[in-house]
Amino acid sequence: MRTAGPIVQVRELHKRYGAVTAVQSVSFDVIRGEIFGILGPNGAGKTTTLEMIEGLRRPDGGTAVVDGVDVRRDPRGVRAKIGVQLQEAGFFDRLTVEETLTLFGAFHRRSAQSGRLIDRMQLGEKRRAWAGSLSGGQRQRLSIAVALVNDPQIMFLDEPTTGLDPQARRNLWDVIAEFRQEGRTVILTTHYMEEAQRLCDRVAIMDHGLIVALDTPRALIREHAPSITIGVTVTQGQASFEALPGVRDVKTQDGEVRLSSTDPLQTVHALMDLNRQGSVHFQQLRVEEGTLEDVFLQLTGRRLRE
Amino acid sequence: MKAFAMTTYMLFKHYFRDRSSVFWGMVFPLLLMSLIGLAFGRGESISFTVGFVGQGGALAQGLRTGLADVPVFKMTDEKEEASALAELRKGRRTLVIVVPPQGSPEPVRVFFDQARVQDARTALLILEKFISDANLRIAGVQPAVRLQATGIAAARGVRFFDFLLPGILAMTIMNSGLNGVTWVVTEYRKSLVLKRVLATPVHPFAFIGGLITRYATTNLVQLAVIALVAIWVFDAVIVGSLVTLTALALLGTLVFVGMGLAISTASRSPESANLMGSALSFPMLFLAGTLWPREFMPAFLQPVISALPLTPLVESMRAVAARGETLLPYIPGLVYLAAWGALSLVVAGWRFKWE
Repeated sequence: MRTAGPIVQVRELHKRYGAVTAVQSVSFDVIRGEIFGILGPNGAGKTTTLEMIEGLRRPDGGTAVVDGVDVRRDPRGVRAKIGVQLQEAGFFDRLTVEETLTLFGAFHRRSAQSGRLIDRMQLGEKRRAWAGSLSGGQRQRLSIAVALVNDPQIMFLDEPTTGLDPQARRNLWDVIAEFRQEGRTVILTTHYMEEAQRLCDRVAIMDHGLIVALDTPRALIREHAPSITIGVTVTQGQASFEALPGVRDVKTQDGEVRLSSTDPLQTVHALMDLNRQGSVHFQQLRVEEGTLEDVFLQLTGRRLRE
Repeated sequence: MKAFAMTTYMLFKHYFRDRSSVFWGMVFPLLLMSLIGLAFGRGESISFTVGFVGQGGALAQGLRTGLADVPVFKMTDEKEEASALAELRKGRRTLVIVVPPQGSPEPVRVFFDQARVQDARTALLILEKFISDANLRIAGVQPAVRLQATGIAAARGVRFFDFLLPGILAMTIMNSGLNGVTWVVTEYRKSLVLKRVLATPVHPFAFIGGLITRYATTNLVQLAVIALVAIWVFDAVIVGSLVTLTALALLGTLVFVGMGLAISTASRSPESANLMGSALSFPMLFLAGTLWPREFMPAFLQPVISALPLTPLVESMRAVAARGETLLPYIPGLVYLAAWGALSLVVAGWRFKWE
């Protein structure tokens, strides 16, 4: 059933555990076919938010509608439509990869062929291996295969690459990017800013149970971390970099002078002039855009991982 | 239905791939059985309890005096035939001898317990020999051939294992719930497997039902293996209905798995849930008449023993397996047992946590 408008609508969801407010108030829409990221540090309320939308946790208030189904009215109806990959969830250790998919397939009304899922998630060699014997990366791939078992249009991935080595992480990014090409909608949480920046069409930045910003990664950076950093390695001479046009701040780090500029074009022109005049010699010059890390720092005054 | 059947099937596989559960479920009960058998099954002299109903006269008196000298007969004087037969039906007598009044044309009648064929046959042989000796003596004939009863010790051993086997079966059922479920379910919860199940649209009853059914299935397999080994190796005999015994095993499984589920809601860690289960199962193992008759325990403990949920299971299984009785007299106990199960399942359903 294809409905117009957002495929997931979240309105003022909140959740308390005793005196602790896990999620203060969260509202957002997810558009069909996009990869929507929730970025924030550990304890920001990302997982709780996701689990309320998945129908695993009852919200204290607010609503979430997933593909036309209200999660508070029909949590199992929501779970039938979605694929869920849980953070660090275990398996029946003495069932094989194949048996695991058969078992979880039986929990759904319709289920994909386990053989195709195994091939797709590159678990062919491990088909008859016990789930308990898999490596971290293989477990994560099996976890995603389990989430795909009902061929869902909406996938929820909770910290899908946490604990993986860089190679396994890149592999998984490719898999997730494929979901978008297949027309699936993906909602994922992460505390890796690189993951959010590379993978997500839109990112909600979450801190202390609130969404503090929501937009495309590019727009977030343009709005909250607009200044561009220009790094130069000086081999000879000196100059007062503070006086150059556009420069707001100067730092020296690992032998590199780092200029923060609001007008990078003017700053680079001025630097080039200095070099041509021969008063200062540069070995190298690079221009860096701001990152989501800078956005988070700007919005909260803290780093993502401290 | 698909989810329920697949859960049962997969969890059944999952169970039998765990060597330690196979040990605790099958090897341990058999080990315990042989150890108890070694300790109690040998070195004791045989004895049969014989009820004696004498209705007056020299014959009765003579027989009574003579029988008192037979070393393997423990004589009990009964007031009347009816009450003596009632004792026999309860399994408290091996034989009941009824001697007619002096001058009556009636024969001396002997009643024996049909369910305990082995014992009764041995006791009857001894009695027959005694009677023929007495006849010869009265006729004044010196016996040319004398016969001595032998092979009695073997009969005693069989009797002990007949008694022990149903106790061991009941223990295995109890342990699967109190020691097995408590560990398994908290372990599934701790490792977030249960949460993964919750994240699917499966109905909780289908999954939990599948889990309970897998316990029923694995228990029946275990009990069958234990019983077969006991029959082959220890010459144990099951005289009663196997269908009734299976029904009792299923009821017991449901009750103790229910108790295990209820206990598993009280703790987050598998270790502490398992300890709580053991704290219940151990005293019951030693008190409930599982390994030796509950009459061995002091009188002040008897009310406690009657209150234990394992007691009615042991007693009814033993009545069927060892004595071939019907379940009728045991129904109140079984209702009490079922009440434990119902209460436990209600508590488990009310407090069950998926993570």
